[in-house]
Amino acid sequence: MVQLRPRASRAPASAEAMVDEGQLASEEEEAEHGLLLGQPSSGAAAEPLEEDEEGDDELDDEAPEELTFASAQAEAREEEWRVRETVRRDKTLLKEKRKRREELFIEQKKRKLLPDTILEKLTTASQTNIKKSPGKVKEVNLQKKNEDCEKGNDSKKVKVQKVQSVSQNKSYLAVRLKDQDLRDSRQQAAQAFIHNSLYGPGTNRTTVNKFLSLANKRLPVKRAAVQFLNNAWGIQKKQNAKRFKRRWMVRKMKTKK
Amino acid sequence: MGEFKVHRVRFFNYVPSGIRCVAYNNQSNRLAVSRTDGTVEIYNLSANYFQEKFFPGHESRATEALCWAEGQRLFSAGLNGEIMEYDLQALNIKYAMDAFGGPIWSMAASPSGSQLLVGCEDGSVKLFQITPDKIQFERNFDRQKSRILSLSWHPSGTHIAAGSIDYISVFDVKSGSAVHKMIVDRQYMGVSKRKCIVWGVAFLSDGTIISVDSAGKVQFWDSATGTLVKSHLIANADVQSIAVADQEDSFVVGTAEGTVFHFQLVPVTSNSSEKQWVRTKPFQHHTHDVRTVAHSPTALISGGTDTHLVFRPLMEKVQVKNYDAALRKITFPHRCLISCSKKRQLLLFQFAHHLELWRLGSTVATGKNGDTLPLSKNADHLLHLKTKGPENIICSCISPCGSWIAYSTVSRFFLYRLNYEHDNISLKRVSKMPAFLRSALQILFSEDSTKLFVASNQGALHIVQLSGGSFKHLHAFQPQSGTVEAMCLLAVSPDGNWLAASGTSAGVHVYNVKQLKLHCTVPAYNFPVTAMAIAPNTNNLVIAHSDQQVFEYSIPDKQYTDWSRTVQKQGFHHLWLQRDTPITHISFHPKRPMHILLHDAYMFCIIDKSLPLPNDKTLLYNPFPPTNESDVVRRRTAHAFKISKIYKPLLFMDLLDERTLVAVERPLDDIIAQLPPPIKKKKFGT
Repeated sequence: MVQLRPRASRAPASAEAMVDEGQLASEEEEAEHGLLLGQPSSGAAAEPLEEDEEGDDELDDEAPEELTFASAQAEAREEEWRVRETVRRDKTLLKEKRKRREELFIEQKKRKLLPDTILEKLTTASQTNIKKSPGKVKEVNLQKKNEDCEKGNDSKKVKVQKVQSVSQNKSYLAVRLKDQDLRDSRQQAAQAFIHNSLYGPGTNRTTVNKFLSLANKRLPVKRAAVQFLNNAWGIQKKQNAKRFKRRWMVRKMKTKK
Repeated sequence: MGEFKVHRVRFFNYVPSGIRCVAYNNQSNRLAVSRTDGTVEIYNLSANYFQEKFFPGHESRATEALCWAEGQRLFSAGLNGEIMEYDLQALNIKYAMDAFGGPIWSMAASPSGSQLLVGCEDGSVKLFQITPDKIQFERNFDRQKSRILSLSWHPSGTHIAAGSIDYISVFDVKSGSAVHKMIVDRQYMGVSKRKCIVWGVAFLSDGTIISVDSAGKVQFWDSATGTLVKSHLIANADVQSIAVADQEDSFVVGTAEGTVFHFQLVPVTSNSSEKQWVRTKPFQHHTHDVRTVAHSPTALISGGTDTHLVFRPLMEKVQVKNYDAALRKITFPHRCLISCSKKRQLLLFQFAHHLELWRLGSTVATGKNGDTLPLSKNADHLLHLKTKGPENIICSCISPCGSWIAYSTVSRFFLYRLNYEHDNISLKRVSKMPAFLRSALQILFSEDSTKLFVASNQGALHIVQLSGGSFKHLHAFQPQSGTVEAMCLLAVSPDGNWLAASGTSAGVHVYNVKQLKLHCTVPAYNFPVTAMAIAPNTNNLVIAHSDQQVFEYSIPDKQYTDWSRTVQKQGFHHLWLQRDTPITHISFHPKRPMHILLHDAYMFCIIDKSLPLPNDKTLLYNPFPPTNESDVVRRRTAHAFKISKIYKPLLFMDLLDERTLVAVERPLDDIIAQLPPPIKKKKFGT
């Protein structure tokens, strides 16, 4: 820790500094000022110590540099200004970047949405609030779903507000696909629950083959199981064998001729 | 009768879907059955248990509950979270209302029939008001912790019992708050890690709640105090369904092992007034889980994963002990799922989501009666046509020449043109079908494949002209008097002049195709039509009804034929009338006008109109007598009905040409082999 020796030049300088820069009462300035106070003091405090030490050393006879306070202040101020400038530049750069990114996102979003004409029609149609018969709405919903399936999944999912009525010339109904996903996942969970409770672990289930073969096992003359052959075994092997046999026959016919 | 080569076809891989819910309606004596693929079928129990209507299924619809409300309105609710009302007159779905509670597990109509209660996945019980044209959400009851799997109203409509996982709650309808919460033991006299799922609850008018759960217990609770009164352990597996009779003196439960138990309220001693619930009869008619049961005044109805619908009339409730008191099992469909192209020997099989086209094999060998001839060319699977979209196929048809295939779902109609060039087949779809053709109940091609007849579910009958690769709508016959009630059947005469349609309650209408107008109407009969066909040269319309009556009507003369009048005067043989399954297909021999070929699931019969009719004393089923019998005996026992039970169970039988028959069989074992796993049964010694 550097010992701060009270110095005559110090106190008025600090007062001047305070007065000069009293207008700019920003935290940064104060902090910087504090830093300035700290640093030069440490530096200034360090110097005389060093000076003292060096002064002890007879070899170095040079007098220390006369550093006026004004120059030091000017330097400090320049330092301050430079730092401020860099911060400001960084901030503006970031702002610009952010702005550009926002614009890019807006553009992308616009690209994803339906063209303005259709959106207008939808909003106007919802305002008029035509009540169609539920049957028609349901069939239209089915049609829309069919169209969706036919369109394919290459375009990203569109999130459009759910519209109650149907526009006059086009017959489709716009639904939120987020709702449909939620509904599907809940239905899956429900079906998984039923499956687990009826066929899951802990239930005492057996295969149909074993079940039907119980009677065969207890006959006086025991018979084989009901599904004795496993026809699904080695399908690939059987197919290869068939192909090989065909080719072999053809070759044999050729050589015979 | 003649000698025929028979193509025995067993490659139709027909597997019906399991039954999920049944609902019995007392006023009309009808049963609504919903299956796991979303199909809802309506069976008319007074018309010999015939399936008279059905609503095709949908992939996303997993129905979990079905109920009737007042005024013959049918509602269903499923795991997609929607409550659907079915329009039984127009044969479509009126509307689907989202209950906003997640998947719906249970639904119950109030005893008065004006309110509907729904139990959802998020634990909420929602009350809906049934208005004349729709249902309206009224309010929510107190929300519970886990999903509400079963609901039951008290007969007075003041309280509700809701079964959930590990507990049963009793709600007060007026306030909507839970009055009692009864904790169900996880295992009968024991501890278990598996949660106890209360699959069914029933609320009796004396305040007793009966619950069935997945630990195999049937428990009786007192709703006034919220305590357990009695507990019965009846199975090692889940007990999945319960149904109480209207008089509340008996109820039936179904277990996952396939057993159905009947409980009855019997006096403790023979002259005491105190009664107790006793398990009286077990019935084992199913191999897999019995997911649903119903109790009609005289019978127990059960259905489950093994796709059978079983009616077990109770002997003590049945008035007259005749064949009506026998067990009825409905396994095979009541309509024809197969169509045949005779010229090219092709068969079109209709499945729920796809169609298959097969070419029959051929043989060059000959043999005598009873021989199995080796195939020189195997049957060929030509086409596997998948339908677009999640809806089930309602009906399909292939033209007799084999170049057109048409099928219909609820929202679309598909027409394909087939081209054959040396064993290869190419398919081209005819696009831009008009909207009025969709949701067709029946499709039929004319004999020369130039016209397509479509019966839509609005009652209209459309005639479409086909030429080359395009079509042209010729005419639409509007529905005549009488509502569209029954399933529609079509029949066209081989010369293309007459078209018969049986879609309305006013009888079978016969239209003149060339002049495009109504020719006559066969008088209405009070049982629905199960099969129809028009004979080649005589233009006689043969109609089979669900009570096993067969009529023959002459179209040019506009009256019943003499033979038909004779049969009606004498009546059919009693064994003929006692057959279980309806006649699904009628066909004729091109060279023998006196023969009618018809079949049902367990027999096929050739009626020879020139032979005498059997009376009740003669043997109906008399196979070919041995040749050492004298001629006189043979002539005495010969009668008009030649029945053969060699090929069963039959799904389809037709005459391909003069000497060939095709019989499509579906052995029951092949269906069972593709069902989900059943509960393990431990038998001593295995």
